[in-house]
Amino acid sequence: MASSSIRAPGTADATPPTALVHPLIPFLQQQSQNTLTRLYQLPSSCLSIYRLLAPLERQLVMSLLWLESAIPAATMAAWVVRDGKQLRPPHEWLYDGALDTLARLHILPNAAAKLALNPTFKTSFRQAITGSGTSGSFGVPAEVDEKRPPLTVEGLDGYALERWETILHYMVSSGTGQSPTKPSTGVLYLLQRSGLMVSLRGGPLQITSEGFQFLLHSPHDQLWALLLQYLHLAETRQMDLVEVLSFLFMLSTMQLGREYSADHLGVSQKAMLEDLRDYGLIWQRKPSSHRFSPTRLSTTLTSSSPPLPTTTTNSSGPAEGFIVLETNYRIYAYTDNPLQTAVLNLFVSLKYRFPNLVVGSITRDSVKKALNNGISADQNPLLPVTVQDQIRLWELERNRLKSADGYLYTSFTSQADYELVLNYARELGVVLWESPAKRCFFGTQEGHANIRGFIERRTTGGMA
Amino acid sequence: MDDSKGCHLSVVIDLSPAQWHLSAAAPPTNLHPLPLNSFLAQLLAFLNAHIASKHENTLAVFGAFPGKSMMLYASTDPATELQAIDANSYPPFKLVDSTIVTRIMEEFDDLGEPAEEAPTSLVSALTKALCYVNRVSIPTSSTSNKPTEDHDPNVLPDPRILVLSVSPDLSTSYIPIMNAIFSAQKLAYQKVTIDVCQIYGPDSVFLQQAAHLTGGSYIFLERRDALLQYLIMSFLSPPLIRKTLSVPTQDKIDFRAACFCHKNIVDIGFVCSICLSIFCQPVPVCSTCRQDQVPYEDTPEIECLSADASLC
Repeated sequence: MASSSIRAPGTADATPPTALVHPLIPFLQQQSQNTLTRLYQLPSSCLSIYRLLAPLERQLVMSLLWLESAIPAATMAAWVVRDGKQLRPPHEWLYDGALDTLARLHILPNAAAKLALNPTFKTSFRQAITGSGTSGSFGVPAEVDEKRPPLTVEGLDGYALERWETILHYMVSSGTGQSPTKPSTGVLYLLQRSGLMVSLRGGPLQITSEGFQFLLHSPHDQLWALLLQYLHLAETRQMDLVEVLSFLFMLSTMQLGREYSADHLGVSQKAMLEDLRDYGLIWQRKPSSHRFSPTRLSTTLTSSSPPLPTTTTNSSGPAEGFIVLETNYRIYAYTDNPLQTAVLNLFVSLKYRFPNLVVGSITRDSVKKALNNGISADQNPLLPVTVQDQIRLWELERNRLKSADGYLYTSFTSQADYELVLNYARELGVVLWESPAKRCFFGTQEGHANIRGFIERRTTGGMA
Repeated sequence: MDDSKGCHLSVVIDLSPAQWHLSAAAPPTNLHPLPLNSFLAQLLAFLNAHIASKHENTLAVFGAFPGKSMMLYASTDPATELQAIDANSYPPFKLVDSTIVTRIMEEFDDLGEPAEEAPTSLVSALTKALCYVNRVSIPTSSTSNKPTEDHDPNVLPDPRILVLSVSPDLSTSYIPIMNAIFSAQKLAYQKVTIDVCQIYGPDSVFLQQAAHLTGGSYIFLERRDALLQYLIMSFLSPPLIRKTLSVPTQDKIDFRAACFCHKNIVDIGFVCSICLSIFCQPVPVCSTCRQDQVPYEDTPEIECLSADASLC
């Protein structure tokens, strides 16, 4: 579903934008029907995928879930609100989009005439809702071990946060000469493969412009972006994609603070334990342990709530940080989080640091540095207009030069020849630059074949 | 259609043993029998569907028993003890299902077998639901920024109350129901939508008005064997989705009011010109505001009103 194209300013509160499609949905849509059907055999996967759908799609699935037979498409379409006044019926448009998404996920095949859910999906999802079935897809709990109780929720949160911030901190300080704790090689490989970091001529890893943009996203988007890369990687590593996906979905339905048994996992899933431990998605007492606990990062995979508590330190101040930006480009950030400070350092030149406050200012140099890192001016939302305009001007300043591939035509024998060819090229609209004094011009690559043909015809014609 | 905050649903269940006994009666007298256990099974599936839709969705369930009402479940209250989990069910579903069923059974056991059943406290349960919605929508400083596992107490978007009724109207509850409706319309932070499903018994005049006045949907269940489908199609979607995928609404609403003197539902009533109390016959002194009324024959001040132009 796409949002309406033009919206008047100030209407944002009245009509929130169309829900963004979850990044995993397009990935699932690319999978074969066979893969999806195998995935739909597991109730926990059905439940998780259902949660990733847009609200309207969820309602459609639920409406059809308890029907035994297919219903005519027109029956369902009759429920769509019709708004006669509008030129393009927005609700029907939304409805068609929702049906299309479900069809491409093979949840609702053959949406043209009759509507009925994919039988596998229907059976499994019913089992998920009623808590029946024997698939064990919600995770087999581990036997309670009296001697070694599971880690507390606070402990899990701290562990997940430490893991995750290690990754981000490593990325953010890769260019600054500091040497923060290195994440594991598996994480480094994933960062490199996903193009977030790159190793120049075998040197240490450097953050790329994609990496900088990645840092500005919400933790939730970051997590899914990495997991998507992981899924792509899994395909090349000959891992069973269904097992990988269903394990992620299983984690997302597990209960925080519980221990689960690893004995019932598939081969690929056991291989995943190590990777997910590195990302902070699961906790294990020791690598060889036969039990694992999901952290908040994994149990909130299918939700939009913030996956992690925002601060590691035991400060008494508010966990939420505030940023004040004045129209004189000064910026005050109330934070004591080194990661947030490091992110700010990407586009602000920092002046002072206090225990809970960082003061800096946005300058031409700092913005240029950020632009060089690949952050664009459009990525900074909700700034004062003066600041926004100035940043835009600075960005334009950087974009003074434009490069284009093409050919330089020179050494014309006479002014007449030169003008003849130039006029021809002008008619084609392929002239980028011309200099009558030097009797040369520069044409685009696309126009070269025509111009060369023209000159050759002229030359041979002149000789004849 | 951004619904990232999830939505809240409070369900009020009418649990009158006598009415459920009638509802379970065999076909000749009762075309589509619906015993309580089958009702609960379908209701739990519906509640699970609500929780399934969004990680952030919150749920509260209130029971209206004869002469007593109570909260059966609330997702904001953390579970008292860690329950056993099994590999085939999603833990939150299991928690909801077992809590609700256990609490209802406990209450029924406590009821014993009274000679005469007291009327169900539907209004009391409805009021508790409203108080609950109000309480959890007010941001409190005590519930700090620390995120809890299932819900952030500071936001409660699109709160809805679903009333599942099996009892006929209790005319004494007219005034409390009206008060509940007005509170729902004017709740401090957000108005509350009241949906009503009359599962058994005659159409409920008061609940129809409650649904109509709060922008909710009222359904008189004709096919009781299809309860779950009714619930899902009509009451699962939050108000945001109802803009696109419509839900059934009433084409005619019974707007009749109950008189304040004998609690009868009246077609034609007499309204006190001072405080707008309704009476089924002319009275010399208004029993609500104690104002002397000039005798009916001499004055048009106590006006005769037709049913459709009453209080709303």
